[in-house]
Amino acid sequence: MAYLPLRPIPIKERNSMIFVGMGRIDVRDGAFVVIDEVNGERMHIPVGSVVCIMLEPGTRISHAAIKLAATTGTLLIWVGEAGVRLYSAGQPGGARSDKLLYQAQLALDSDLRLKVVRKMFELRFGEPAPQRRSIDQLRGVEGARVRATYQVLAKKFGVSWQGRRYDPKDWAAGDIANQCVSAATSCLYGVTEAAVLAAGYAPAIGFLHSGKPLSFVYDIADIVKFETVVPVAFKIAAEQPRHPDREVRQACREVFRSSRLLGRLIPLIEDVLAAGEIAPPAPPEDAQPPAIPEPPSIGDQGHRSS
Amino acid sequence: MSMLVVVTEAVPPRLRGRLAVWLLEVRAGVYVGDVSRRVREMIWYQIVELAEDGNVVMAWAASTESGFDFITYGSNRRMPIDFDGLRLVRFQPEGMDDV
Repeated sequence: MAYLPLRPIPIKERNSMIFVGMGRIDVRDGAFVVIDEVNGERMHIPVGSVVCIMLEPGTRISHAAIKLAATTGTLLIWVGEAGVRLYSAGQPGGARSDKLLYQAQLALDSDLRLKVVRKMFELRFGEPAPQRRSIDQLRGVEGARVRATYQVLAKKFGVSWQGRRYDPKDWAAGDIANQCVSAATSCLYGVTEAAVLAAGYAPAIGFLHSGKPLSFVYDIADIVKFETVVPVAFKIAAEQPRHPDREVRQACREVFRSSRLLGRLIPLIEDVLAAGEIAPPAPPEDAQPPAIPEPPSIGDQGHRSS
Repeated sequence: MSMLVVVTEAVPPRLRGRLAVWLLEVRAGVYVGDVSRRVREMIWYQIVELAEDGNVVMAWAASTESGFDFITYGSNRRMPIDFDGLRLVRFQPEGMDDV
């Protein structure tokens, strides 16, 4: 019997995310399973049909399961309470050197970087960024607009709002609206990180944000944040939910579906970077082609096991 | 993207696990999902390569008159027939086949 390779499918054709909160994750007959050791129950997860799997405290995962997730191009994210990030791995960034060099070139040149930031501003607010402003000035304009947007949404949904305040180390310390916003943004960051990786770019090389492992993820997620997850978070917060994080996740999944977010993310990333108006670098003339060329794949360009 | 149903009988566990990578096994050997044409064709390729002596039917929502289309692998009492352009299934009498 021939060995039959397993390859990723495009992220736009997947479900957004699955949270796993307890159990031992392993592989049975080549399928991704969560085993509840107390009851002996097994749950299959269609690992190849989700963008990212959020592993919450209380999960253990085997080497075989990590390997299967990597083969299907599914991002595993180790998260803390309510999905707020503790630590992440699964796929290291920058599977494509050409894309990585292109992104780095845009970020290193101050004129190109400003063009990219202006494009982000334009996509986010639906109007061109004001002329002759530095990135710092644009950041100031953006911050003021964001604070105003939070106020408008809080008023619309009847939620009391004293600003975006949270302690990244203590989720429960925030008020309910902030908890909901934190849970919702972490869902968005998860799928955005998976999209950045699937497109072949580096999550850490940001344009507006910098100095964080997910700077570019925050840049991209911020473009769509206030049309997708933030209204959802306020809507849930207004209902005084008993389990805010669970309800926020369900609502996020629904808004990702209705806004077709997964299909939009990679084109959005390409669109933002194209604002630099440079072509991705051609391979050097003396470059050696790969000894073993990659087989054609139906997955995304940044998937490693294509 | 369209809805997909796969029903397997007497196939190796390896194929059953492989199908569970993309689809949800709602009953023993019955898999459901919502996939694109490319992914459906990729899944069918896996089935043909891994089903060995088992038999499989895959059905999906399509813009045919009946609203779906299907394809089979291996032998089964129920065999697809073309009935004036409409795809139906003919049953062989019991005992005629293994299944």
